[in-house]
Amino acid sequence: MKFLQILVDGFAISSLYGVGAIGFTLIFGVSGVLNLSHGSIMVAAAIGAWAMAGDLGFGAVGGAAGGVAVGVALALITYTLVVRPIQTSSRIAREEKEIFVLTGTLLWGIMVQEALAYLFTSNPKTVRPLIAGVVDIFGVRTPTQEILTALISWAAIGLLWLLVNRTKAGKVLLAASINPRGLTLLGFELPTIYFWVWALYGLLAGVAGVLLGSFLGVSSDNVGQLTASAFSIVVLGGLGSVTGSLIGAYVVGYLETITAYSGAPSIRTVPVLLLLVLVVYIRPQGLMGRR
Amino acid sequence: MTNLLEVTGLTKRFGGLVAVKDMHLTIQGGEILGLIGPNGSGKSTVMKLIMGIERPNAGSVKIDGEEVAGLPSHQIARKGVGIVFQHSRPLHRQTVLENIKLALLPDSLLQLFAAAHVEERAHEIARRVRLDHVVNRLPGTLPFADLRRLELARAIARNPKVVLVDEPFAGLTAPEVADFSNLIASFREEGHAVLLVDHNVKGVANLSDRILAMYLGEFITQGSAEDVMRNETVRRVYLGGAIGHAARPEAPEVRDELLRVENVSVFYGKAQALDDVSLHVGKGEFVSVVGLNGAGKTTLFNAISALVPSTGVVAFDGADLDGKTAGQIARGGIVQCPESRELFGEMSVRENLDLGGHHLPTEEAHQRLEWLLDLFPILKTRAGQDARTLSGGEQQMLTIARALMMKPRLLILDEPTLGLAPVILEQLSKALETLRQTTDITVLLGEQNVTFALPHADRVYVLEHGRFVWEGPPDRFATEAGAQFL
Amino acid sequence: MLKSKTFPSLVGILLLLALLPFGVSGYILGLLTLGYYTAVFAMSWDLLFGFAGEVNFGPSFLIGVGAYTAGLLNHYYTWPIWACVISGGAMSIIAGLLLAVPALRLKGPYFGLVTLVAVLMLQNFIVLFAGITGGEIGLDLPDVLAVDDGSNYWIALAFMGVSGLILFGLSRSAVGLILQASGQDAVQAGALGFNVTKHKLAAFCISALFSGLSGAMLIFYEGTVSVGTVVDIAVGVQVIIAAVLGGRRTILGAALGAVFLIGMGEMLRPLGEASTFVVSAIALVTIMFVPGGFLGALLHGEKR
Repeated sequence: MKFLQILVDGFAISSLYGVGAIGFTLIFGVSGVLNLSHGSIMVAAAIGAWAMAGDLGFGAVGGAAGGVAVGVALALITYTLVVRPIQTSSRIAREEKEIFVLTGTLLWGIMVQEALAYLFTSNPKTVRPLIAGVVDIFGVRTPTQEILTALISWAAIGLLWLLVNRTKAGKVLLAASINPRGLTLLGFELPTIYFWVWALYGLLAGVAGVLLGSFLGVSSDNVGQLTASAFSIVVLGGLGSVTGSLIGAYVVGYLETITAYSGAPSIRTVPVLLLLVLVVYIRPQGLMGRR
Repeated sequence: MTNLLEVTGLTKRFGGLVAVKDMHLTIQGGEILGLIGPNGSGKSTVMKLIMGIERPNAGSVKIDGEEVAGLPSHQIARKGVGIVFQHSRPLHRQTVLENIKLALLPDSLLQLFAAAHVEERAHEIARRVRLDHVVNRLPGTLPFADLRRLELARAIARNPKVVLVDEPFAGLTAPEVADFSNLIASFREEGHAVLLVDHNVKGVANLSDRILAMYLGEFITQGSAEDVMRNETVRRVYLGGAIGHAARPEAPEVRDELLRVENVSVFYGKAQALDDVSLHVGKGEFVSVVGLNGAGKTTLFNAISALVPSTGVVAFDGADLDGKTAGQIARGGIVQCPESRELFGEMSVRENLDLGGHHLPTEEAHQRLEWLLDLFPILKTRAGQDARTLSGGEQQMLTIARALMMKPRLLILDEPTLGLAPVILEQLSKALETLRQTTDITVLLGEQNVTFALPHADRVYVLEHGRFVWEGPPDRFATEAGAQFL
Repeated sequence: MLKSKTFPSLVGILLLLALLPFGVSGYILGLLTLGYYTAVFAMSWDLLFGFAGEVNFGPSFLIGVGAYTAGLLNHYYTWPIWACVISGGAMSIIAGLLLAVPALRLKGPYFGLVTLVAVLMLQNFIVLFAGITGGEIGLDLPDVLAVDDGSNYWIALAFMGVSGLILFGLSRSAVGLILQASGQDAVQAGALGFNVTKHKLAAFCISALFSGLSGAMLIFYEGTVSVGTVVDIAVGVQVIIAAVLGGRRTILGAALGAVFLIGMGEMLRPLGEASTFVVSAIALVTIMFVPGGFLGALLHGEKR
């Protein structure tokens, strides 16, 4: 029984981790940025959904949509106010830009986290599920929302795949991750492309955040841990590889679920960290990384 | 005199690519050897192998009889080798003197204070390279030539037996070149062995006792400057062989101006890459800019395409391009095929071409694609393959085809023939001919390979050290400019 | 040269600071004490980053190892303080070497990740073995450095003074020059005859030593050792902000930044939750517009 429970729960959480991680790796692959404020976008989206569904009376669906919109908005603000100014700053030496962007996003993430705590307190909040109720899967009583989480996550992943592989815009995205300079030569404006990539990232992180909020609940305290999870997943899978992130998400999701069920939930992240250390020492580029 | 530097059988592979193959050279004390070769010839790799920055796969490097191949660079440095990199970065928060002192320090963790004689010796070296008047200034305040002097100072600080200098004169003005030459010549007087690495034979010919030419990682020939330049392989590699003619459409007497470049200069930091150049290209014209690697062709094209900042005026079809982004300029009709090609390696040939036609209406893009696949049949065959699996020549064709998808009015080609086999060059040449005869495209070509550049051209400019030194029709090139070209 | 002017003035400043207990309240002395220990954290970080070019996103790993070693020894074996502190420093060196190994093989973001992971792992392990380590609550220590504010202040000042002078002196020495070259351009440093690996390892060890010593000293000032004060990521972030605010590659700037941060954190305490927000915001704006930090801006202003 427990095994099935782990299977189901693990699947759901891995799926939504996957959505967030793909967004994280997308930003790295295309924009070259390791966004250390990733967790804050997810949590902001979740809290946004919670606030809009409840306090603002938008209802479950409206709230969820609103939450995702918050995610998009925050991602764009992060890019415009923090990342882009540092990347284009003439005051910072080219070799140091990466470190400054990392530190900048870290600080920004803290700012957002504290702002959320200040405005909404750090008490955990649960986003209103889109569909209430419980369903029986192989004898495991599972909230319908959990099924929905997995479904929506995979729908998002599927849509993304369609976007990248079947649309013109998607090809541009792929090209941007391979060779931005080539795109400039072909008449594309990179700033516009980056804008859209960050918006897409916000969408993905927003969806992941809202789903997480409805599934496990979130609090502003989770920001750091969510960024760390995304980071771990992406390093395991290989920085810049979407497939790798997906695989990594499932590894991490299941590891965490198994640990939570067998041991103390508070050390949920330890096996993942151990795995991470191993990966970094033995195969730093991750499972599918190319660099 | 003994051989201070002796290299035999030196080989280096990077994955599947053989960068240096069975290379050999010797330099005696009191000798200057000039190692020349075009981009990709492996000369920089040879230098790195000698210095220990890269480990050779095979071969031997002996410094004054002692084998050092495979040792880490800091040990080789201590055995008496100094190197002046092409792009060097001094410590910016330290003065010139402190930068020189650094080169004199022993490799010790425990030394808190420099030994007494270090200060004195640092001053001595500064005097030698004529930096004594700026010893207490910060590198950021110095002109480019002085920065190069600083690098020279650091390389010779410990009186190495062998001195390696990469592109000794890049970025220097003519009087500075003379100054540097004297400085390097003085090392020779003192009995050091000096290796100069450069693209440009002319630059190092005066200074070197011997020249050694390399191509594709291998030794071609060595001897005096004249002997080497007379060598057939060398001429073919640099000039591409005999200069022929290609069919050109009837040239109208007067053409409307399409591109005007006026007094454009480009600086990379302190180094001047382009010095007050002006050129013009008429509609339908084919203009070739010939010059060796490092002359500034790429910089010129990047300035036109707004990929690097520049001063001066660039006007296209009468309109000043100032303020436009690189993307806008490309969409506006100036499309560049850079030397590095910038293909999307992990995407297919077809996808690369599609991206070129992204801004066109679908039907038109489709038609254009068909036309290009006919023009370059090899791309049709390989349409589904990933771009990085194509050969060099095929990649070059893809680059040009992709650029043509954008309906350029001015097509800029930067060294399209680099590293391509003669049979591919023929195909490329034919394709260009067809283009000129069937469309009203204007072409600006930058090439080192004169054999390729001349036949198609209506006019030729010669670029040397960031400046145009000659302009005229191709038939007069051989007699007027060709001799001095190398 | 700068050396001859700076050292006497630094000693002068230290002497002035030593006079403070004679007129200043215990509350402020307490703040400054905390600030001084943080200053050593920040200066050690700057040596590693500013000089060896390695960005350590988890300085609290080194601090925590030193602190907990000292704390555990004192709590369970009641070793005297000086023995605990020295042991803490020694363990931190080992921790520093552990970090150094991947650092020398990994580039950029990967190394930063390793440092972050190290902190998270340490934190989790301490919580996991709460029975021994006291978990989130921490351990009470039988010994403290001193009881009154004045004595604690002087001890902290002396410690910071000595550490600062050593670290600053190192940065200005011949070795410091080599470190800088290694951090800026390892290939060039090698070509000049320096074993970059050796020097970077040394930088890690020195940074670790001082971080660990300071962490150990800090817990004996506070009387307890807990995750929140010496291991938490927030501690590390504070150290980085301090060093960056004060001015990277100056060592002294890091000390300035640390004291400033602690002071500001206190001043903003009435704002409650918002204080962290304000501090982070100031830090963010600083790194974006004044990347050289306080001291950096000052020094550049002079030299222009």
